[in-house]
Amino acid sequence: MGIVEIRNLTKDYEGVRAVDNLSLEIEKGEIFALLGPNGAGKTTTIKSMLGLIFPSSGEIKINGFGVTKEGKRARKNIGYLPERVAFYDNLTAIQTMEFYAELRGADKSECMELLREVGLGDEVNKKVGNYSKGMMQRLGLAQAMIGNPSLLILDEPTGGLDPRGSWQIRQKIKELNENGATIFLSSHILSEVQEVSNRVAILNHGKLIALDTLDNLGKKLDIQPSLVIELQRPSQHILNRVKQIKGVKDADMSGNVIKVRCNPRAKTNIIRAIEDGGGKILDFRTVEPSLEEVFLRFTEDE
Amino acid sequence: MDGRTIYAISKKEFMDNWRNKWVMAVSAIFLILTLVTSYFGSTGTFNSIDTEGVGWRNIDATILVMLIFVMPLVPIIGLMLGYAALVGEREKGSLELMLSYPVERIEILAGKLFGLGAVMAAATFIGFGVAGIIIALNVKGVQWGNYAVFVLASVLLGIVFISISMLFSAIFKKRSAAMGGAVFLWFFFEMIWRDPLISGIMSTGSSWYCAAKLINPVEEYLTLISVSISSLNGLVRCIPSFVNAQFIIAVILSWVAGTFALTWYIFNKKDL
Repeated sequence: MGIVEIRNLTKDYEGVRAVDNLSLEIEKGEIFALLGPNGAGKTTTIKSMLGLIFPSSGEIKINGFGVTKEGKRARKNIGYLPERVAFYDNLTAIQTMEFYAELRGADKSECMELLREVGLGDEVNKKVGNYSKGMMQRLGLAQAMIGNPSLLILDEPTGGLDPRGSWQIRQKIKELNENGATIFLSSHILSEVQEVSNRVAILNHGKLIALDTLDNLGKKLDIQPSLVIELQRPSQHILNRVKQIKGVKDADMSGNVIKVRCNPRAKTNIIRAIEDGGGKILDFRTVEPSLEEVFLRFTEDE
Repeated sequence: MDGRTIYAISKKEFMDNWRNKWVMAVSAIFLILTLVTSYFGSTGTFNSIDTEGVGWRNIDATILVMLIFVMPLVPIIGLMLGYAALVGEREKGSLELMLSYPVERIEILAGKLFGLGAVMAAATFIGFGVAGIIIALNVKGVQWGNYAVFVLASVLLGIVFISISMLFSAIFKKRSAAMGGAVFLWFFFEMIWRDPLISGIMSTGSSWYCAAKLINPVEEYLTLISVSISSLNGLVRCIPSFVNAQFIIAVILSWVAGTFALTWYIFNKKDL
């Protein structure tokens, strides 16, 4: 039994189908990423998981409890970081944390430590109304961790953060996962989840279009690594020679850079062909398939 | 329902609203108006109370004059506290976070009603309480019982309007719409459904008119004061004979219970 079970979830908003017959199962201990462009139905899925909105059909169970009928028990062990964090302007950070600890029935004494952990140790008595956006995001993460929940649902956790901030969040996600939490996160920025997630689901127009590990997705789509070669004097002649090599899928040239999609074993032959053709290699690197490519291919097919 | 959850939410609601500057301002306004009324208030003679001339007046006379500003002002404060209770948090995004915790929607509604009611009560107690003490220092033989009736009835009036405006807060998607609804409610109960206007249209004295008037919480408040304070007994005309203080309190509380139930019914089905 998965920690999250979504069965045939469909949600219509005034004639618009936001989520269309979605089924997912998330196992304990996973870092699962829900990917898709804006408006794909990610937030609708997450809100359904939390009982914030009511599905048109289908059902969701968390830790074995139905979200609609046993909402309180289902939410007992969930930490949630919304896409748009908002608190109460007149409460201080520590008062805010203690309020949430009371709601979760957790020990209030851990609040201070959690605030320190996210780097707000010096700002605990400041009113949240005076917090900056980055501080709010940190407080958001701190409240999600109250009571050490077994499932963390993070909606666009790195959205709107600078690179340093989003790196810190990714480290935190990994750390929480290592300590036993299952992570369910959503993102439209592929590079952000690529590094952390075990499994991904891709959603487009409310439909599940792919569900697999990152490696498998790459294989299924036959996306091969690319060679990016910078030459001193590239020419059409060289490009044509490269294209004829066995294992090369295609090659194109822009400026003095040739980009080749090929079987990794063809590498040596490609280099030899370029040098034999009179080209001089200035730089040479391999680019692994990015999720971006995986994603584009899936959404283009729609 | 879990009492601890409701308590946590009302405490939060109280702390967040109490530190709003305008709540403090309300207390100060109550204080100043009470003192000014007590010292300068003069509306002619009513029953045996002498309200002429300048100088500290006894509590009953002060209450009589204060009704003029409490009747419109307390509902406004109630509406201001309640109209944004749900829609404001919803627009901001904090409501969905609160609901992601193991909390039932009815617990949120109950917590908010208690918390906002406590803000109303605290502002009223401080404003009227301090004023009462100052009056007591200057006037002999203060009827504290009558003053307590007046203060508690005022708090009750405020809570009814908090509850009614929370219904609007659950219905509307936009804060501005809920505020519009609250303004309309105020006009309706204060201006349209009140004695002078209605009695102009209806034949005065007919018994069902007297009863219909009592559906309005503002009239209920006035009637409650009138039947509870002996020197103000003649304040409201045509009170049906079966109406006593307990009856009116029950009617006021059923306003709170009725609007609360309706708010729950609507809020419980809402996608957030």
